[in-house]
Amino acid sequence: MVLARLQQPLRVAITSIGRSGSSQICLHEALAQLSVRAPPTLTFVRHASHAQQGAVNKAKDGPGKRLGAKKTGEQYVIPGNIIFRQRGTHWFPGDNCAMGRDHTIYATECGYVKYYKDPAKHPKRQYIGVVFERNQVLPLPPNSMRRRRLGMVATKMEMPEVIETEPQIEVLADGQAVQVQKSTDKERKGEEGRTLRLRPGYMYREANWEIGRAAERAKVKVREFVPGDRWKAWRKSNARKAKTAEKKGLGRSVKAKK
Amino acid sequence: MTTCRRAARSLAECLRINHHSKTYSIPIRAFASSACSNEVAQAATETVTPTFDPNTVTSIKGERTLMKTGVLPVGSRRRRAAVKTSDNIPFELLPYQCFQEARKVLMEDRQEKLELIKKERLRISNLLAADYSNKPNGEQLKHARLAGMRQHLEYLKIQADINDPLIKKRFEDGESDMTKPIYRYLADRKWRAHQHKLIVQRIDQLGIVPDLLPQFEPTAEVRMAFGKRVVHPGEFIDSRVSEMMPRLNVQVFDKGERLITVIVFDSDVPDLNNDGFTSRIHYMASNIPMSPTDTSLPFSHASKEDQLVHSWIPPFAQKGSPYHRYSVWVLQQESGKLNVEELRQLKREGGNLRWIQPKFKLDPIGVHVFRSIWDEGTAGVMERAGVDGADVEFKRKKIEALKPKQKARGWEARHAGPKYASLRKGRDAHLKRVVKKHTRGRKGGH
Repeated sequence: MVLARLQQPLRVAITSIGRSGSSQICLHEALAQLSVRAPPTLTFVRHASHAQQGAVNKAKDGPGKRLGAKKTGEQYVIPGNIIFRQRGTHWFPGDNCAMGRDHTIYATECGYVKYYKDPAKHPKRQYIGVVFERNQVLPLPPNSMRRRRLGMVATKMEMPEVIETEPQIEVLADGQAVQVQKSTDKERKGEEGRTLRLRPGYMYREANWEIGRAAERAKVKVREFVPGDRWKAWRKSNARKAKTAEKKGLGRSVKAKK
Repeated sequence: MTTCRRAARSLAECLRINHHSKTYSIPIRAFASSACSNEVAQAATETVTPTFDPNTVTSIKGERTLMKTGVLPVGSRRRRAAVKTSDNIPFELLPYQCFQEARKVLMEDRQEKLELIKKERLRISNLLAADYSNKPNGEQLKHARLAGMRQHLEYLKIQADINDPLIKKRFEDGESDMTKPIYRYLADRKWRAHQHKLIVQRIDQLGIVPDLLPQFEPTAEVRMAFGKRVVHPGEFIDSRVSEMMPRLNVQVFDKGERLITVIVFDSDVPDLNNDGFTSRIHYMASNIPMSPTDTSLPFSHASKEDQLVHSWIPPFAQKGSPYHRYSVWVLQQESGKLNVEELRQLKREGGNLRWIQPKFKLDPIGVHVFRSIWDEGTAGVMERAGVDGADVEFKRKKIEALKPKQKARGWEARHAGPKYASLRKGRDAHLKRVVKKHTRGRKGGH
């Protein structure tokens, strides 16, 4: 390949030698033409991959986030009004203000917005506060009483609805007053004459010991257990075995019926 | 592992005790203690009531039984356990050479300090006798010098005893004599280590200081309890608990007898007329003698003739009102005994410490705070105390929005006309039905 490439310039050189008159100058020219020139160097590199994100292609300006003051100084606000939207805490909540999850400052009382600094509280921070009267000044003079507003109205307390079955108040031995309710429905067997009291857990029910005596009240009799009665134990265990055997024997047919 | 070790330790102790008591009888059979322990068990069954020594009781049960009889266990449980297992040799006889040498050094130091005290006393007496009248500002100079010398004397008194191991022991065992400066100093230091910080923090957090007084630094320890219920600073107390009068325990750390005034303020009384808050005096008593040794101050013991100014009203917070801060102030009377009749002119409502304090020359030395809100017992408490307003409930005032309400738009607007009345009716009827069901369910629930 290299030889083939060299052949052409060589041929040209030889022919030019043949044509020229003065042999010396011609040789020089021929040699100059013979000198193989280096190819020009590349001015840029093209890599296989190119970064597409990040700072490579110049940071783009996103949409505006509408930050900044939403209420000016001395503007009237009501609780919940947003006063300042910010990233981070350029401003801190002062009197009657609070800071939201994204550092938004909002009012907690009705009043007039004040932007101020309080060197006694913090030397560098700037605060946003709300005062009740327009002429009031923030920060307060040191050690003065805080300004507080009740912001409430007195109403008559709503009593819980009167229940049809009037609860009787019964005073226990330890001086505690307890509401008592008697059920108007037809009483079930063994539940006659129950007195239901309002108990912890907000339930009208009997005391635990009274529940424990329910069987006794209903005159339910349980045959006494005789520890040494092997004859009865044998009968019972046989019966149990027979029952389980019967169940096993039925097996799938029971399920199929269902 | 730890349980094993604990078990092994008790066993070893048991063996050691056996060893001490029965060396003459079974010197070799130290480890085979089965028979021996049987004997011990029998002996234990014979003595029916175990008596506990307040110096060595370590079990919680034993401590309780002791406390029920009115005897407090001495010092910490760890100390009592140590006393139990040691031979209780007094410090002077302890067989540790280094310890004894150190004691000698401390004794020498104490002697030095005593000499210095003697010298300082002499100086003070000389200064008192000296004539400063011919110098410019002579009296002032003399007073300033005297004050400095007395301060130094107090410092020396404490320095003389501060390194004494016996004094440290007595203080830790609760046997300190508060008439002596060293014990007062130690008690003050202990209080400042935690309780002082706590009350200062509560004063700041609950806004006691700018609201009730412009500034305040507590110098006396105040503890409070309603019967058995100990109140920590700033706690919420059930209204039924605070119905009875509390018992204060005021420990002052400077010497001498003084008269004090106790005032209980509620600084969060809703004031509807001014749409703000006022304060109320719930209790006030004056001319109560107090000294470092005499600390107990039960409110109920104030004599009606010359101490009680305003009797106790139990704390109550009406329903819906924000929490009430009740601050118990202990104020030292600077101008001696106060006239109770004059104090009774003070109104309960609107009483403010900011002007009461300078008017009667009261110096605040201690404070305690607790809080109260409406609970199930408050109505009963108010009724029993004869206070009206148990049926009042505070509700937030409705605040009008700044912008008018937006008109209906879209579907709502298009279907607002009378043409679609039936549609709305149906929806409303459905809502009504739901409401009805709810109410019925509630009724049935009772």
